[in-house]
Amino acid sequence: MDRYQYLLLMGACVLVTLPLEFVFGARVWRRPRRLLIALVPTLVIFLVWDVWAIERGQWTYGSRWVSGIELPGSLPLEELVFFVVIPVCGLLTYEAVGRMLAGQRPWRRSRELS
Amino acid sequence: MTVLATQEYTAAVLVAVPLVVALELLVLRTGLFARRAYWVSMAIVFFFQALVDGWLTKLVAPIVIYEREEISGIRFPFDIPIEDFGFGFAMITLTLLVWERAGRRRPGTLDER
Repeated sequence: MDRYQYLLLMGACVLVTLPLEFVFGARVWRRPRRLLIALVPTLVIFLVWDVWAIERGQWTYGSRWVSGIELPGSLPLEELVFFVVIPVCGLLTYEAVGRMLAGQRPWRRSRELS
Repeated sequence: MTVLATQEYTAAVLVAVPLVVALELLVLRTGLFARRAYWVSMAIVFFFQALVDGWLTKLVAPIVIYEREEISGIRFPFDIPIEDFGFGFAMITLTLLVWERAGRRRPGTLDER
């Protein structure tokens, strides 16, 4: 299981933040088009940054804790997952906090369109 | 300026953070930085980053291993290179900016929530 540790950590982040969507009414996963638009620039820019950093030897990955599946640029699959999962966690937090500060009931549908 | 010349990760973060801030202030103008929800969220995000990133960078069994020459050497909290918080700020703020922009119904109109 060791080599799935990074992936499992990312899976845990998804699970732990799911209540923000379904209990606190964040509505991030349920706005897939807007979510995709929000994720793409971050994904592209940070993947490029990551590949550059790896190539420049700024950081490497502990081979014991990663799956070994690599994308072009010696990029561990886990990093791609990271750049999707963590921004989604940030969006869920932001939307849930926004909802709470606005004093809206979590289960009430937002007036906002996708 | 030796820092900028030699420690690449530190330098990259010092470029990325102002770039994202400038993107909002000069280009996107979503009003994100004026929203209380943003700052509360960032505080929460940093707290959880400390946990997740702390696990990724712990020196006893690191998942991500940093080249000593390319970071400032300040690791806090736990063994997290301080640069990671700039990296995280840039990554999350950029995502929120584009999210806000994409959710705007009409240009120049901030959506109400």
